[in-house]
Amino acid sequence: MTGPDDAAETIEELRRSFFYGSRSNLDVKFLKDLSDGEFGDFLQELLAAAAATIDHGDPSGVVDSLQRWQVQAYRGHLGDPADFPHRHDDTPLASLDRPLSEARIGLVTSSGHFVDGDDPEPLGVVDMTQAEAEERIGEFLREAPSLSAIPVDTPAERLRVRHGGYPVAAATRDHQVALPLGHLRSLAEEGEIGQVAETAYSFVGATSQVRLRRDVAPAWAERLRDDAVDAVLLVPV
Amino acid sequence: MCHVSVGHVQRAIESIGIPTVGVYVRSFGHIPELMGVARAVITRHPMGRPLGAPGDIERQRSVVRSALSLLASDRPVIEELPADWRPGPAPVS
Repeated sequence: MTGPDDAAETIEELRRSFFYGSRSNLDVKFLKDLSDGEFGDFLQELLAAAAATIDHGDPSGVVDSLQRWQVQAYRGHLGDPADFPHRHDDTPLASLDRPLSEARIGLVTSSGHFVDGDDPEPLGVVDMTQAEAEERIGEFLREAPSLSAIPVDTPAERLRVRHGGYPVAAATRDHQVALPLGHLRSLAEEGEIGQVAETAYSFVGATSQVRLRRDVAPAWAERLRDDAVDAVLLVPV
Repeated sequence: MCHVSVGHVQRAIESIGIPTVGVYVRSFGHIPELMGVARAVITRHPMGRPLGAPGDIERQRSVVRSALSLLASDRPVIEELPADWRPGPAPVS
């Protein structure tokens, strides 16, 4: 509640409060990256779509609006592509030396999954909650990431997910929104791919970019080579 | 930021001779080209559900198959998948 002595909240403060602030909501943390005018347009559109559901009950307009403005916000956030700090003008390229139906496929995701009992204990914390991961996102962004090994036949009930950078509700309900262990297994059984590597990997992608690029990513690549994979599917989240 | 992180990992794997493909969501659909990753599909899905909605097995599997099909390409390829987002089944309570 705003008392008489408090300064009124500005539109910018309101937008930013959804980005790890008092109203934190990772599904709409993109509001930080809209201008105040865009925020007004978004609210107008969202409320019109929500109001329309009163009569027809179809929420697809609400979903469309959230999705369209997320795209718009992150596009604006990018700024001038020439200034993008992780830009590369070259493209490393390797060839698959056998048909997909004979290839052994590895999986790497940045979804923050791990197996129950094998918690990576980020920042040295035992049993960190999702809420704490969100509160300490700034510390994650300064640390090197660790890689969780996930046996490809791990049952769903033994999978855990924790990640301070994205809304984990969907991945918590169904890990295959980001970690397609079962889909890869069934594609191997059906012969569309040769086999799945015994170990899949996941890490928290909200991490020190410098340390990841310089030290960690090359080491992880070697690990996949040791796993004798022929190709790798990556799923950023 | 996660999409950039995976971009670094994808480049590192491809650099040691292992072909890769990534599944990027549309909000970060500019990342694969800017980072020079070898192969990518871009889904019209919101952040946090790159392969599809919880329980939407058909869509998740379709995205995985589309991505894997690009592995045979000997040239860099970025393909935007045309399917719009669709919600999954309601949670079973």
